[in-house]
Parts: sequence; C-alpha cells; structure tokens
Amino acid sequence: MAITHTQTTGPTPTGVTARPGTGTTATRWLGIATIVLFALLLLLGLVTSPADVVQGESVRILYIHVGTVWVAYLAFIVTAVSSAAYLWKRTRSLTWDRVAGASAEIGVLYMGVTLLSGSLWGRLSWGTFWVWDARVTTTAFMFITYIGYLAVRGLGGSHDQRARRSGVVALLAVVEIPLVHFSVKMWRSVHQDASVAGRTTDVTLDGQMLFALLLGTVAFTAMYVWYVLHRQRVLAMEDAIDDRGLDQALLERRNEAI
Amino acid sequence: MDDLGFILLSYVAALGSTAALAWWVVRRGRALARQVPDEDKSWT
Amino acid sequence: MNVARTALLIATKDLRVELRSRVVVNQVLPFAALVMVLFAFALDSDSALTRTAPGLIWLGTIFSLLIVVQRSFAVETADGALDALRVAGVDPAGIFIGKSLALALQLLVLELLLVLLSIVLYATTLDFAGAVLLVTTLVPATLGLAFVGTLYGGLAAGAKGRETLLPLLLFPVVAPVLIGATRATEAALGVSGAATGEGWPWVGLLVIFAALFGVGGTLAFGPLIEE
Repeated sequence: MAITHTQTTGPTPTGVTARPGTGTTATRWLGIATIVLFALLLLLGLVTSPADVVQGESVRILYIHVGTVWVAYLAFIVTAVSSAAYLWKRTRSLTWDRVAGASAEIGVLYMGVTLLSGSLWGRLSWGTFWVWDARVTTTAFMFITYIGYLAVRGLGGSHDQRARRSGVVALLAVVEIPLVHFSVKMWRSVHQDASVAGRTTDVTLDGQMLFALLLGTVAFTAMYVWYVLHRQRVLAMEDAIDDRGLDQALLERRNEAI
Repeated sequence: MDDLGFILLSYVAALGSTAALAWWVVRRGRALARQVPDEDKSWT
Repeated sequence: MNVARTALLIATKDLRVELRSRVVVNQVLPFAALVMVLFAFALDSDSALTRTAPGLIWLGTIFSLLIVVQRSFAVETADGALDALRVAGVDPAGIFIGKSLALALQLLVLELLLVLLSIVLYATTLDFAGAVLLVTTLVPATLGLAFVGTLYGGLAAGAKGRETLLPLLLFPVVAPVLIGATRATEAALGVSGAATGEGWPWVGLLVIFAALFGVGGTLAFGPLIEE
C-alpha cells in the first residue's frame, strides 16, 4: 500500500476517487424530500392554515414547536439505545458510538429550538415566558444534560474511551431524566397554583391545523434522519483520519529506528 | 414584540438553524472526503 | 478480595488521608460556613432567610460537594494512584462504594454543621419529631450525593480540561436531591408552616434516588475509569 500524506493542503492522496462527499442516492432523495416538506410547512404554517379560535395566530408556533420537541426526544432515545448497543459486547461497534453522537448533536439543537419556541408561544398564550412545571423543567434539564454529554465526547482520548465514557453518561441520563421529571412533578403538585392549571399545550385543532402539525413532525424527522446519516459518515472519516495519522506517526517512528 | 414577531422568530430559529446545520455537515463531508481513501467510506 | 472488603479498605484509606491532611476540615467546612454568611448578605431579610433556610442548607451542601469530590479524586490522580489501583486488579465496584462511603461521611459532617449554622444564623428551630425526620433525610440524601459525586468525579478526574466539566455534569443530576431534601428539611424545621408529616414522601424520593445511583454507579464506574 502506498504511503499517503493526509494533510489538508497538498495533493489528493492515491485511492481517493472523485467522490464529492457523504452523499448517496438515497440521501439525495431524502434531502430533496426534506426541503419540499419544509417548504410546505412554511406555506401551511404561516399562510394557508387558519388562526385558532382561542389562541389566535400564536398557534402557528406550535407547528414548529411540536415537530422539534418530538425529534429532540427521539434523538435522545436513539442516543441512549445506540450507547447501549456500543456498550454491550456482542454488538460493539464504533458506528453505534458515532450515531449516538450525531443524534445528540441535532437533539441538542432542536431541544434549544423547542425551549425558545415554547417560551415565545407561552408568552403569547399565557403571558409568561416560563412556567415551572414538570414538562418544561425536564426539557430544560435534558438540554443541559446533553450539552454535558457532548462535552464528554470532546474530552479526547481514544475512540473507545470516547464511546465508553459518553455511552455511560447517556445511559445515566436515562435514569436521571425521569427522576428529575418525577421530583419536579411532586414539587409542583404542592403548589396548587390556579394560574398554572389551564396552562397546557393541548389544544383542539381543526383538520388543516392538525395536518400542519403532522407535517411539521414529519419534516423535522426527515431532517433528523438525513443529518444523522451524513454526520455519522463525517465522524467515521474523522476517526479514520485520526487512525491513519497514528499509523503514519508509528510508521515514521519505526523508520527512524532503522 | 408582537405576535408576528414571535412567530417569525420561531420559524427563523428553527428553519435557519436547520439550514445552517445542513450546510455545515455537507461542507465538512466534502472537505474530509478529499482526504480519505475510498476504502474508509463504507457508503460508497 | 470481595467487593465489601475492598470498599471498606478504600473508605478507610480515604478517611485516613483526610484525618492526616485535614483538607475538608480546614478548608471546605469554613467555605461552607462562609457560603451561609454570603446567603445572608444576598437575601437581606430575616424572614426570607428563615423561610429559605432549608434550601440554603442544601445549596451550601451542593456547592461544597463539588470541592469535596474534586479533593477525593485529586488524592487519586496524584502519582497515578487510581490507575495503579485499576491495573492491580482492584474491583472498580469496590473502589466506587468505598470512595462513596468516605465521601458520604465527610458530607454528613458538613451537613450537620450547616444545620447548626441555620439554627444559629437563620433562626430556624428543631423539635424532636423534626429531628427524627431530619436525620432520616440526611442518610439517603447524603448517600445519593456521594454516589453521583463519586461517579461523575471519576469521569472528570485527571487530565486537563476535565475538572471544569464536573459542575456541568453533576448539578443537573443532583436536582432531585435538592428538591427532595429541601422539602423534607422544610418539614423537619417547621418552616413556612410545614408539618413534619409532609416530609416523609420526600424521604421516599431520596431513597429511590440513592438506590438507583448506588446500583447504577457500581455498574458504571468500571467502564468509566477504564483506559
């Protein structure tokens, strides 16, 4: 095998074809579908769907909010399951680790968007940016927890160390989040706030509005799948470059000794 | 901020960040693909 | 050597180190006391202080937890002691339980000090029923904090850039303890008209937390510190 130099500047190494990136036919189609879905969502969400009888125009935020919160929760479930798949010896493979990482990245982003859009919607509907109930507080906690998860992934060390450490953190989070939810629920049930009761995102919707909600959910899910596919391929390449760099360094060191 | 401002902010934040994320991952993929031989790309 | 014996050995080792160096006694306890005083400056109202005293006790505990955990692992990473233990084949579960127990004991001393300070500085009162509740609260709460502290402390220990990760990882996880222990302590101290009976469900929550992270930590500690 010819020795190749893997610097960012310099000639393209041998063995690399003109393959442009992480795309395949499948992801190209998925990408196009995602763009179409988002375009439709914009149209339906902002223009053609009606305003709500009770909430007025602010219901339009829900078409975004429900989509992102669903994907954020999905992303974290996938991270947890992938982490377990890595940690279990029989299915151990770094691909699981990379899927876990990619999933958490978009999960954190959409969790942030969820908190933002939920906060804005709450301000319009209830008059407050925030409410200390179990659902909202747990969402904020998940956000912070997975930022911590991503920080653990950035600690360095070997690929296996990264995978093991972050995998354990992800599984501990599966224990921690329900505990947080439960304790906040217990806590708020003590404060029988009349103002809190009646604050809910559950609304009765007509056909078009329900469709827009579902459309948003599908669009964001498509984006989630598209991103995880691409991102875990990028991570695979980053790991490969890491490995080759190490092999390279070892080879050079051995050659020095000759 | 009025209703419309908040609504637009939500859409811009959600769709803008989505677009930025997509653009970033594609760019990174292309930059790295130039350096990595095909045998390391399991999807090709 | 079985896990229990390992744990006991590790725990006594940690406690002996503390007894000789007195770092917690000389530095962390004064820090915690100082935090209680700073709370008084910040809140600037006697009634607010009495009302929030339970929360302040546990906030003070959690802030001090950070330092005590870092100390607990600084002892290990100096001279690569943790690596030596691992390479020598010492069961990580034993290390986890041992360090947690030592940590818990030190935390207990700290919490008792904070309760005392709360009575002195914040004018809270304690009757017999409240004291029973308080002691019963302290055990699972302290164990829970010690378990998660040891767990995430092990993760964050050692190499550069890791110690700053500890608060970010630890604080979200201790939230249920903060909620539960504060409510139980409110009931124990009779603050804001809370009856002692109201505290017991919260003790249940704390027991569940301690149990979950005791088991979880025992399983997770090994993979976490593996190199």
